[in-house]
Parts: sequence; C-alpha cells; structure tokens
Amino acid sequence: MARQDALQGSLPLLVLKLLARRGPLHGYGLTTQIEGMSDETLRVEEGSLYPALHRLEEAGWIKARWTTTDTGRRARVYEITAAGRKQLASEEVRWKAITAAVGRILKHA
Amino acid sequence: MSLRSRLMNVFRAGKVEAELDEELQFHVDARIHDLMATGMMREAAAREVARRFGNPLRLREQSRDVKLLPWLDSIVRDVRLGARMLRKNAVVTGASVASLSLALGACLAAFSLVDALILRPLPVRQPEQLVYLAFPTYSPERPEADTFNDPLFLRLRDASREHVDLFAMSTQVIRPAVLPGAGDEKERLRTQYVSGDAFERLGVGPALGRLLTGQDDERPGAHPVAVLSHAFWMRRFGGDPAVVGRWVVVEGRQLQIGGVAEPRFMGVEPGRPTDLWLPYMMYNPRAFGNPQFGWFRVLGRMQDGIPLEQAQSVLQAAFTSVRREYAPKVFGPERSPDSVERFLETPLYLRSASTGPSPLRGQFERSLWILAAIAALVLLIAGSNVANLFLARTAAREREMALRLSIGAGRRRLIQQMLIESALVAGAACALGLLFAELAGPAVVGMLASADDPVQLDLRLDWRLAAVAGGLTLLTTAVFGIAPALRASRVAPMVALKTGAGRSVTGAGLMRPFVAMQVGFGLVVLFVGSLLVLSFARLSSVNPGFATSDVLLLSLEPTGRMAASEQRSALLQVLDRLKEVPGVMAVSSAESNALGRAWTHNVRVPGTGRETVEATMMPVTPGYFETMTIPLIAGRGFAASDLEPKSTAIIVNAAFAARYFRGEAAVGRTVDIRFADVDDSGLHEVVGVVADTRYDLRKPAAPAIYIPLSLRSTGTVHVRVAGDPAPFAARLREEVRAASPSLRVTSAISQSALVDRTILRERLLALLSGFFALVGLALAAVGLYGVLSYAVVQRTREIGIRVALGARQLRVVRTVLAEIGPAVLIGGAGGLAGGLYLSRYARALLFEVTPFDFWSLALPLATFLLAGLLAALLPAMRAARVDPVIALRYE
Repeated sequence: MARQDALQGSLPLLVLKLLARRGPLHGYGLTTQIEGMSDETLRVEEGSLYPALHRLEEAGWIKARWTTTDTGRRARVYEITAAGRKQLASEEVRWKAITAAVGRILKHA
Repeated sequence: MSLRSRLMNVFRAGKVEAELDEELQFHVDARIHDLMATGMMREAAAREVARRFGNPLRLREQSRDVKLLPWLDSIVRDVRLGARMLRKNAVVTGASVASLSLALGACLAAFSLVDALILRPLPVRQPEQLVYLAFPTYSPERPEADTFNDPLFLRLRDASREHVDLFAMSTQVIRPAVLPGAGDEKERLRTQYVSGDAFERLGVGPALGRLLTGQDDERPGAHPVAVLSHAFWMRRFGGDPAVVGRWVVVEGRQLQIGGVAEPRFMGVEPGRPTDLWLPYMMYNPRAFGNPQFGWFRVLGRMQDGIPLEQAQSVLQAAFTSVRREYAPKVFGPERSPDSVERFLETPLYLRSASTGPSPLRGQFERSLWILAAIAALVLLIAGSNVANLFLARTAAREREMALRLSIGAGRRRLIQQMLIESALVAGAACALGLLFAELAGPAVVGMLASADDPVQLDLRLDWRLAAVAGGLTLLTTAVFGIAPALRASRVAPMVALKTGAGRSVTGAGLMRPFVAMQVGFGLVVLFVGSLLVLSFARLSSVNPGFATSDVLLLSLEPTGRMAASEQRSALLQVLDRLKEVPGVMAVSSAESNALGRAWTHNVRVPGTGRETVEATMMPVTPGYFETMTIPLIAGRGFAASDLEPKSTAIIVNAAFAARYFRGEAAVGRTVDIRFADVDDSGLHEVVGVVADTRYDLRKPAAPAIYIPLSLRSTGTVHVRVAGDPAPFAARLREEVRAASPSLRVTSAISQSALVDRTILRERLLALLSGFFALVGLALAAVGLYGVLSYAVVQRTREIGIRVALGARQLRVVRTVLAEIGPAVLIGGAGGLAGGLYLSRYARALLFEVTPFDFWSLALPLATFLLAGLLAALLPAMRAARVDPVIALRYE
C-alpha cells in the first residue's frame, strides 16, 4: 500500500501536468502514463482516480468530451482548461516548495 | 460544473450514471486487454482488475456525488424508490393513505371550523383592543346577559370617555326589507342597528360612498341612512355602484343607501355576516330613553395604555349608580333587602371582543373542541396503524436492507429512505385530507344552521390551514416513520442474510407501544363518542309537554300595510276558516313557538316581597292548549271574550305557580305586568294553570305566562291535524289565501322538525363523534389484527416446535396473545382513565348522562372487547392450526 500513499495529494497535480504536456487523455491513459513514467513506482488506484477526475472537472480545471478510439469504442477524454493551467502553475510552485523543504530536513536533520 | 448543472444532473441522473458506467467499463476493458497482452488469462485478468477497482458501486457513488448534488440526488432517488416500493405494496399503501387521509381530513375540517368560529380575530384595526360588556342576571335560564338599553348605554359611555370608547351594535336580526328596483317585494335581510361611530371605532372604511359617522348619532329618527355589506352588495346588486343614493324600506322606514363597507368586514359575529347596517337612531322610537327596552350590545375600544381593570372600575361605578336610581321602580313597595342588595351589587364584566361576541360560539365552541380532540385521537390511531404496517414491512424487507448495508449503503441513507416513504404516504394522505376537509367543513356548517337562520362561516383555505396541514404531515411522518426507520437501520446484515427467507429477526415488540396507544386512544374516542350518542338518545326522547308529531306551524305575514285591528280580524278569519278544513282537529295562533323563548318579561307578583321576576310571555289565541294538547290543571282556558282589550285574564304554567305562589291556589291571584308600550293598569288575574312545557328540551320548564294574543299582533298559526301534517301544508296555504287576501303564509313547517332543529348541536356532536368513534374502533381493531397476525407468522416455526413437543392448542394461542396482552391492558387502562378525564369537558354538553353511569362505562368497554376479540380470533385460530410438519419443513 506504500505506493498508493506515495501518490496521496499529488494525483491532481500529476493529472493536470500530464494533460498539459500530452494533450487529451482518457482515464486509463492517465493511469498507464503515470505508472509508465514513474517506472511503476507510482501506481494509480482506480478507486481514487475517477472521483479525482470528476472533482477536477467540477472545479473547472479540466473538461471532458466523448471521442471514439481506434477500436471504435466510445471513450471519455479529458483536456486541461485555461483555469487548469493557472492552477497547475501554482500547484507546481507549491509542490516544489514542499519537496525542497522536505529534502532540506532529510539532509540536515 | 456549476451548481445549476449539478442541479440539472439530479433530474437526468440516469444519463449521468450511464456515462459514469461507460467510462469505468472502458477503463476495466482496457486494463484487462493490457494484462492479457502480458500473457495473463482472461479470468485472472478480470479478477485482478476487480481487486484493484474495489467496490464499483461505491466508486460510482463517489463520482455521482461530485457530479450531482448528493443530498438532493439521494432524496430524488429515494422518492423514486419509495414510490416504487409503495406501488408494489398497493394494499398496504392504500390502507395507510385511506385511514390517514380520513383522520387528517377530519382534523383539518375541525381546525378550519375552530379557526373560523373561535380563533380568527375580527378583520378590523387592532382587534385585541376591542371589548364588550356583560352582566349576570341570576336567572337559571340565562345566567348572563349582554343586552343594554339606551339610557344605561349613554350613562356608561359618558362615564368612561377617558378610558374606553363605547359604541352600540344591536344583535343581528333578519328583517323584511324592500330593496330598490324590487317593487313591493320583501326580502329577508340580516340587519343590524349600530351607533354612528361604530365603523370609526372598529376601524372599518368604505368600499364605496360613505359609512355611518358620529353625525348619525344626533336625534332619534333623523338619520335615514343605510350601509350595505360588500358581500351583500356583490350578491344582490352585482357590485353596481349606482345603488348608492337609492332607497330601501326597513320596518316601514325609508332609508337612503349611503355606501358599501370594505370587503373584509362582515360584521362582528362570526358565522352571521350582516347584509345591511342601519343607524342606532333609526331604531324603534319607543326604545329611546326607555330603561326597559334592552336591544343592543355595548362594544368598546380600549384607549392606549389603559388597563382593563381601570376601565372596568369606572364602568362599574356608573353601572351601579344607574341601578341605584332604578331600584325603587324595579322593586315594588314590599322589597326584600337581600334581592335589592344583589341587584345593586351586580358586577359588570368587561370581556375581550377580539374575535367578536358570538352566541353561536357560545353554543358550539365546546362541541367543536371536542370534535377536534376526537379527530386528533383518530389521527393518532391511524398513524399508529401506519407505523405498525411500516414496521411489519420493514421486517419483510430486512434482507433488502441487509443487502444494501453490506454493499456499502450508509445507515443514514436507510433511515432517510424509510422516512421518505412515510413522508410520501403522509403527503398523499394530507392532499386527500385537504380535499376531504374542503367537502366536510361546509357540510358541518350546513348542519349548524337552519333554513331561516343560515350560518355562513368563512372556511377559506388560507395559510393557517395550510400551516396546520403541513405541520400535521410532518408530525405524522416524524412520529410514525421514525420507529420503522430506526428499525430498518439496525438490521445486522450477517444475521438477516443468514436466516432463511420469510423469517425475520424483528419481533413484534417494537409494535407494542403503538398497540397500547391504539387501544388507549380507541377507547377514549369510543367512550366520549358513546357518551354523546347516549346523551342525544336521551335528549331526543324527552317529552316537551306538548304535541309534536301532528302539528303544523304556519308563519303569517301581512301582504301590505294594515292597522293592527285589521290584522287581528284578518287573523281571526283565517283561524275560523282553517277550523272547517277536513282533517284539521284544532287551530290556534301564538306569537311564537313553544320552543325557544321568544321574549321574556319582568313581572311582579304582589304579596311575595320579591323583586321583579323573569317570566316567559306566551301570547296565544283561545284553543292553543287544545291544539298543543297541553293539559289544563286548574281554572279555565282562554275564551273568545279574552281577546277583548279590557280583559285581564292570564294563564300561568305549573312552574310559575310553583315558584311564585308556592303551591297555594294560583287561580284568582294577580300578577303585575307592566308593558312599556301598552298603557294599562298592569294588574292581571290568573284564570287558569296549565301543565309545563319545555322551552328547551335540555332544561326544565321555565315560569311562563300565557296572555291573549290580542295584546300583541299576528304570529304563528298552529294547526293540529289527523295524521301526517306534511300533505296538509299546500292545502292550508290555499285556505289562508282564500280566507284573507291581506295575509300570506311565509313558511310552513311541522312542529317535530322545529323540535329537531333545537337539538341540532347534540345531533351534530352525536353523529360526528359516533362516526369517529366507529372509525377509531375499526382502525384499532385492524391494528390489533395486523400485529397479532404478524406475530403468528413470525413465530410459526417456534409454534411448530412447541406443538411437535406436545404443547396444547390453547397454550399456543395464549403464548401468541401474551405477546401483546400487557400492551392491550396498559392501553386499555390508560384509555379508560383518559376517557374519564376528558369527559369532564364534555359534561356540560351531556343530557342526563354522566361518565360514571353503568351504560356509559359498559357500552364502550363491551364494544371494544368485542372488537378486540374479533380482531384476535383469526390470528389465534391460525396459530392453533399451525401444522408442525409444514412449519418445520419450511426451511
């Protein structure tokens, strides 16, 4: 369960970042991207991904639309909005500040 | 996503849900596909995905909550589910809604009546400042009076100018009036004489033209103005403004219509709206300056900051000083000091008139409260029934509940679900109940009234009624929904799911308080209802002392203007003619009917040393006692010669003789009758004594004096016929027309119908309370039946084991009955105590029946016992017939 905890609180940040960089993605795509890019260190719990996505959507930072995949299935893809980009910037600053602070403590304590 | 879109989503939740499912399903499929690509078998992949996903329902719920307004969404979903569940149990739902709506409707109808007659303040400026005056009369027939005479009113008004503004309003009387454009035709209008300043003091303005003012209070006979009520103006003249300035004729006096009062003001007596207001000064001229002529109520508006006690003490002083001046005239030379003292020390009461002084209220207030209480109790009984039905259903749905709990539904949601189901039932019942009240209210008002004395209560559906309806619905839901709801939420999933289908873990124990309540309230309602029914039965079998069955009453009225002597001879012609009609046994005329004292008069009996005494005056023609079959006890009846003006013959009833002549021979004694408007010596000789007749079935006969009708004018012709009087009515009308063209029949009614009308209140009470007592009894019996049946079904297995082990049938039955036995006993004892306690309030309405009579107690108890036994019979038989083989093989 450690891997899940590692993601706590940072999932919205990762979702926003991925959508900003890689363009529209569906939920499963987000999961595989996060897992792939972190070499399976971060594993997205499906149970928390979708409520998180819907909360972001509710907040207006991402928006969803239905598209059709190569295999002809309907998939719901998400893309970041202007408000989402703004939110991403401030979240990134905050995240860096926190990790830097945690890093300093680990180094000097 | 905005609040609006979330709100919208609640109502397209199905689509939102489908999209959620589709999105999740895409994810699952994609993951399985990828896992299979790594060489995993499909089943293993699916298992792995399911493990990672956790509970898909909960997941969906979480996302839903984001997309929708969760609280609203859950309510909408529960309403839909509840409606579906209720439809599935159509019989239970129907029974619940029907019994609740009947009870709720009764409560609402009772409230609307109570509100209209008792609670609603007068629609005038600051009604709480209004007062009216009253004083005790010490007469057993009418303990309190609120009629005043002109000189006394003027003295009281002048004395209290600094404290309260007094004004006069006559009691409302139906008078014939000729309206503009109606030719000579008389219409019956509800008229009221009011002092000119009355509208101003009440704070009522005109809708049109002008109302009466202080300037209309100057000289008797000098203010020929009339004011129409708005309702009458709309009804009779269609709201035509041109009617102002035209003339009406009331009691022979011409009056010009000055204006129309504002719509909300209908007079000060609830139930008796006024059509036409006339100036005080236009009343009978003989009333002015005459201390014997009491004809109006005194109302007043308290001035700001003056306490009631202060105004009372000022008024009391004036009242007493006026009485001191009158005392020598009221008492003869041989006065007894005690009665003079009582006369002088008579208190004057200052009563609140914020809801208007109302004899109708005095007559019906207690009855209405009792009916309201009975309706409320029936509501509680019906509610307990519904609660038990729901409890039983909850038990039947335990597996559903357990399933929902185990797949993650919160207990709060289950409680909400159950409460919403009961709210749906209560809401539907309330809507139906309102409909019922809309129909029942006017029907009851119709029963309060008689054809010639209509009652119009304003039973509008206003916010007060709506508030009561809403409150009752909420209360019903809360009280009767909460137990099943809590019960539902307390299901232990493991136990419920493990026990076999059809068996539940809910005992009948939770139902016991409701059983006790039903039995208790059912008994109270039955007890009070049967008291009122018994009382009505006694009252309607009272012998009034005169013939009621074959007497027809014809009211006569002159067709045109005619002198009193002409009228009298026309009447005598009519009487003579009617005597000749075949089938007519006897004919006479009386000024009023024997029931309902038309007028009372203060007379003095020389040689008794008493103050003036009140006697009912009965002007009659010779032959009256034969027509009414009232036996003559001593002396003689009236003869034709007694109709001559110089005759001094009077006849008294036995009550008068007993009270004032103390058993001495009455014939030959004299009575001093001084009429203010007839100039005679006043001394009359008693020529006969007749048996008592009741003027009110509820009361013993009052002292009465019969005088020859010649002293007054025409009246009601009494005709005794052989057989049913109804077919005679048309024939007699014709005969009257033939006998004298100057008189016509305005109404014909049988004496028995008139007698029935006087016990309207008791009939109404007996009918409605009897009906509700039966409804309450039926509901309580159904409730008992339901709970016992449930107990039997639920314990079938246990009973089977007992029987298999050799228990006797009787013992089995006893075990089942024991389940609710204590509850029934507790409820019964409580109900009896409550009934006896409540019956104190009904006592004033009871006639020769007391709550502790044998029948008063035995009738409801026996009825209830019988109903209870019937209710228990079927379930008990079912318990006794349980076949152990079937019962045990069931699982």
